[in-house]
Amino acid sequence: MNVAGNHSSSAAPAKCANCDAPRRSPLFCDHCRTLYPAEGINHFELLGLPVRFDVDTDALQREYLRLSRAVHPDLQGLSGDSALSLRLSAQLNEAHRVLADPVLRAEYLLELLGGRSGADDKNVPQGFLAVTFELREQIAEAKAKQNQAKLESCRRQVQAGHDAALTQVHDLARRLPGDARLRDQLRATLNCIKYYQKLLDELG
Amino acid sequence: MTAPEVIVGIDLGTTFSLVAYADESGPHIIRDENGDGRLPSVVSIAPAAANTDPQVTVGWPARQHAVENPLTTVYSVKRLIGKGFQDIRGDLPFLTYPVKPGPRDTLLIEIGGRAYSPEEISALILRALRRRAEKHLGRPVNKAVITVPAYFDDSQRQATRDAGVAAGLEVVRIINEPTAAALAYGIGLRRPAGPASSGQLRCPPPSAPQGLPIASCQSAVSPASAASQGQTIAVYDLGGGTFDISILRLQDGVFQVLSTAGDTHLGGDDFDHAVINLVVQEVKEQFGVSITSPATRQALRSLAEAVKIRLSDQEQAALELDLGRGRTYRRTITRAELENMMRPLVERTIELCRAALRDARLNPTDIDQVVLVGGSTRVPLVRRRVGEFFQRSPYTALNPDEVVALGAALQAAILTGQQPDMLLLDVTPLSLGIETMGGAMAKLILRNTTIPCRATEMFTTFVDGQTAIKLNVLQGERELAADCRSLGEFVLDGIPPMPAGLPKVQVEFLIDANGILNVSATEQRSGKRAGIQIIPNHGLTRQEVERITRESIEFARRDIQEHRRIDLCNQVEFDTHKAEQMLAKVGHLLEAAERERIRRDIAALRELARTTDNLDELHGALTAFGHSTIRLAELGIRQALVSGNQDQPT
Repeated sequence: MNVAGNHSSSAAPAKCANCDAPRRSPLFCDHCRTLYPAEGINHFELLGLPVRFDVDTDALQREYLRLSRAVHPDLQGLSGDSALSLRLSAQLNEAHRVLADPVLRAEYLLELLGGRSGADDKNVPQGFLAVTFELREQIAEAKAKQNQAKLESCRRQVQAGHDAALTQVHDLARRLPGDARLRDQLRATLNCIKYYQKLLDELG
Repeated sequence: MTAPEVIVGIDLGTTFSLVAYADESGPHIIRDENGDGRLPSVVSIAPAAANTDPQVTVGWPARQHAVENPLTTVYSVKRLIGKGFQDIRGDLPFLTYPVKPGPRDTLLIEIGGRAYSPEEISALILRALRRRAEKHLGRPVNKAVITVPAYFDDSQRQATRDAGVAAGLEVVRIINEPTAAALAYGIGLRRPAGPASSGQLRCPPPSAPQGLPIASCQSAVSPASAASQGQTIAVYDLGGGTFDISILRLQDGVFQVLSTAGDTHLGGDDFDHAVINLVVQEVKEQFGVSITSPATRQALRSLAEAVKIRLSDQEQAALELDLGRGRTYRRTITRAELENMMRPLVERTIELCRAALRDARLNPTDIDQVVLVGGSTRVPLVRRRVGEFFQRSPYTALNPDEVVALGAALQAAILTGQQPDMLLLDVTPLSLGIETMGGAMAKLILRNTTIPCRATEMFTTFVDGQTAIKLNVLQGERELAADCRSLGEFVLDGIPPMPAGLPKVQVEFLIDANGILNVSATEQRSGKRAGIQIIPNHGLTRQEVERITRESIEFARRDIQEHRRIDLCNQVEFDTHKAEQMLAKVGHLLEAAERERIRRDIAALRELARTTDNLDELHGALTAFGHSTIRLAELGIRQALVSGNQDQPT
């Protein structure tokens, strides 16, 4: 498993099977535009980024657009390999979606580095559920009474909790892979963020 | 070398439809003989006499005679396509043609004892556009990019594609209307003016400004760096029946949609409905009568639309409706009154703008430019509210009726490789999921995910030896499956019999670049590809699409015959007229007997053209006439040359 700082990707192949030109991207040949299946390549490798939490968002965006040009079905010509290009585009879009969002990125990196998924570990810090339960009750009451001021104050509270958790996610994810304790702590904080996001969605 | 195959761009609108194509000089709207690019999306079907086909009229004539033929004139069919009967209940009071429920919660329009699906009616419009394009381009048109509202769901997209197939068109791409508009507006923005390499499009479109004037708005930023930093634009698209708002980022020639929101049942028609409701209510109060006759309702519909359009320029408009038996309803309506009626609808669009911004994680002030698309954005209230919300005046340099078709033609150019440095990255407007055991919606793909996108999910069996699994695939944002739209039942079959819980069926949900769902499934233990049967809701089955296509191809064959007949008759008319002229001028140079023979031939040919159904015979007779008048023609030419020389000054 590649870890932060050691991103010289083992997945990057050396040469294009079609035209023998050296390849820079696991997805396609810059020279002859041949597409390659990219199964098992992680999102960071796909977008040419080091496997670590901090991402240069400008570089991510630029590389995403560059690769999109190479693999998108619209630019394959009407006779191109549409099935492979469709699959690669979907994979690339997913990689971009995950890496462009700090919460999804932290979660993805955590699992990539051996942490547990949200489905396997639903723990949250002690006392957190009581706090959200309280908030939820307040929101329900404010909604029933159409108390806009109260709703707005709830919204601010939820947002503040969300933002604090997000700051913590940044802090913990930067220290990945870390030890098991750090990974569990990050998992729990990510789980909190999901609760907050759900509440924010409900508040509109 | 054969010319590259042409792909036209089609805007299949609620009120008007347009067709465009792109060449080296940019995208062009294909216009009718009056210079109008718009084809009214109105189809009139005259009931057939025994053993004959119904007479189909599409466009302006159908629209102009809508009041006389309220029961046989179909308009706004886009509001029905891909919908179920329950979905359109609110529209029923405003439709003058009969709509009834069809199989699997589809809709049927009944005219002259025959039922038409919305897809068939749309196909008639598409075929009219196709003919217009073929006539203009002088070659067959078999492929098209068709636009749909961004907020169209899977059923509506499938139905639109089926309509294209039924019209004999391969729909190479379905693209979203606001995105198409952005493409038309944004072209020329990225590349600085300079010699274009040959074979590539050099835009902007004729008579259009150089793309969005973003660079000039932010003159501190050079166009080049503005392009690489990216620009964020909002496309507000309010058409006859649908509303979309899309937030896009333009960077390095890529049009990346960040989010979209909309309502496929909110548009100018609803503004008209507000006026209609007012009149219906007042007529009831003043005269104690209900407006029920289809003709009066159709007249009222046209009237309401005219009043709305007039109030875009004027402060007030007079309204008059003949109720029969000497009764006339009269009143003056002011713009303020109309705006009061429209306000809730406009506010709903603003609410959706807010939702789209939220999904894009942006504020109104982050938007660099607001573009208005669709005829209904001519309404002053709409312009005012959009301007207020985004805190900038909207940009409207291109004709809001034409900009979507221009964009569709540009997308066609991208697909054919004429425009290789541009790319659209669009999103799916609605979350996709499946119904879980408790009747909840489990989301697999979230709304505003960039397409193409895919998700996989593992399923297993509950009973020993179970060989099939049923899935209810949903689209929507609500928590309960019942509140979402079911795309249909997907039956995974061919699972090898195994003890319960042992099979592992991986189902892949893939949304392609058209925004259309493709599902495939594999049983992981056996590696067997599971079969999938899809029973669509609200749509046509494959068999139905094939039947419509077959029938319309037969239709088309008859059309071609009819065109040939008209062409031949015109040629007969022209040749015989010309021969008569020659006889008058140079006939005296021929023998009397030959003059007589030619006169008889003229009469005979005209008679044949009037009476025969055998076009080959007519074609033969026309050719023979050409041969038999060759001496006359030569004399005529010689005469013309001589008199021409005499006219020359020496």
